[in-house]
Amino acid sequence: MTTALHIEGLTVSARGRPLLDGVTLSLAPGEMLALVGPNGAGKTTLIRAALGMVKAASGTVTLGDSDPRALGGRDRAARAAWLPQTGGVVEAISALELVESARFRFHETRDESRAAAQAALARVKAEAFAQRPVTQLSGGEQQRVALAAMIAQQAPLLLLDEPANHLDPAQQIATYKLIGELWREGCAVLCVTHDINLLRFVGGDPARVRIAGLAEGRLSFDSSLADPFLADRVARLFGVRMTTHEVGGARLILAEDGP
Amino acid sequence: MKAKIAILCAVSLAVLALSPFVGAPLEGEQGRFILWQLRVPRALMAALVGGVLSLVGACFQTIFANPLAAPSTVGTTAGATLGALVALVLGPALGLSSYAATAALPLTALAAFAGAMIVSLPIAAVAASGRARVNDVLLAGVAVSLAAGALATGLQYTADQAALQTALLWSLGHLPQVGYRDLLMLLPFVVPVVIVLLLQTRALNALLGGEQRAFSQGVDVPRVRALTLGIGALGVAACVALCGPIAFVGLVVPHIVRLALGPNRRVMLPMSLIVGAGFLAACDLGGRLILPGRELPVGVITAALGAPTLVWLIIRGNRA
Repeated sequence: MTTALHIEGLTVSARGRPLLDGVTLSLAPGEMLALVGPNGAGKTTLIRAALGMVKAASGTVTLGDSDPRALGGRDRAARAAWLPQTGGVVEAISALELVESARFRFHETRDESRAAAQAALARVKAEAFAQRPVTQLSGGEQQRVALAAMIAQQAPLLLLDEPANHLDPAQQIATYKLIGELWREGCAVLCVTHDINLLRFVGGDPARVRIAGLAEGRLSFDSSLADPFLADRVARLFGVRMTTHEVGGARLILAEDGP
Repeated sequence: MKAKIAILCAVSLAVLALSPFVGAPLEGEQGRFILWQLRVPRALMAALVGGVLSLVGACFQTIFANPLAAPSTVGTTAGATLGALVALVLGPALGLSSYAATAALPLTALAAFAGAMIVSLPIAAVAASGRARVNDVLLAGVAVSLAAGALATGLQYTADQAALQTALLWSLGHLPQVGYRDLLMLLPFVVPVVIVLLLQTRALNALLGGEQRAFSQGVDVPRVRALTLGIGALGVAACVALCGPIAFVGLVVPHIVRLALGPNRRVMLPMSLIVGAGFLAACDLGGRLILPGRELPVGVITAALGAPTLVWLIIRGNRA
């Protein structure tokens, strides 16, 4: 059986400094993996490598069944969709038009693109501002539109880079619940995040939510949300003390000051 | 939206259709000749050149993700001008006779295209490398434009009187008195250019969401950039070879269209083509009417309109 994403001994360097150092990681179809790690650990580089946007110094990346750098654009887009960390929208295009353009990989009519875009926008409850220019939307609204664009691409693997960054608590929860829904619908999910506690909103069995730690370009652990020693692992990863708290049946891991 | 599109189309086409009939009254056999053999083909030429330059400008703005990118700002026009000048100035010296624009068009167009590509290819290579930021590409274009401009001036300095006169008139950017034959010679250049550029619409629209996101959505960004730049250079070269460097059309028209109809390339690209056609026809008409009895080259009119627009865009861009 093929994997959604298989990374084998991947080393990526920039200006002589290794961004990723011999990372091996595999994601099965329909699997959920949260990738945590401090700033500059190489999490975003790993996603970019999965999309074939960076060149490997050594090692291999297999996206679905192929090397992403050998794939044509539409074939690559059929295997993975990406929620980038930053907006990057350069002109005052409307939310609906932005999501429509995410349908690039499909050979279809404009009406079909529009219908799919409207469905994706409804999915993130963004119909109300579908006609407004993306550049005039709030950070939370822009993120929902970006999620809709990713959904509209209908890829079996979702690569999410800090999906809840700059969102208010209600939006953070809504975003992770949506990620959980997409996962249960069969998507494989690779989610880069700092905030482990938000992962509980994905829902389902915590043992099925994989968590891998990345520090200085290396994989430091590969465990799950149900791991009893998760706080210790994450504490070592970030280099801070972590404490575990039970609140209303949910387990929270909090960073503490001091040794 | 639909009403706005209809109005802009109607205004552009009306200007285009009426422009041959404005001016000195036409009577009798001679009037009919002036109308059908001089003014109509010239209006059609204005439409073709204005439309192509505007479409290329709209595409360049998209691939450079910069509202100031246009054939005249990224070096394409300067390169084409230099190439065409080489042909215009050195052509007679090399014994290539009959230097009417008609006979010389294939040669001049070829030289203009070579010049445009020599300038555009390094810029396309920089753009396609994926490492350069869009502003670096634009700055490279400005630098190459300046260098090509200096070479062009040097070339004119060495030219003899007759060649210099031709080169000077041509380098102001004017619509020559053309016949239908010149139009037919331009068509095989610009029709494929228009078709290829319009076929890029979906990819260019995706680029509005940022180049990395467009890449992840399946757009082969370096290829789209190189193709658009190369094909755009071909269209610009054909226009420049015939009419000289008509500046700012490719900058101003896409902005007018965007302000009126929004940035969706599905609308903006075809509408730039149509509005650009009407715009250059109107500018040419203005050049015929401003000085009684004399004609101002259309390049002077477009520059007079375009330069303030450019300044306004820069000031507005700085504020935003």
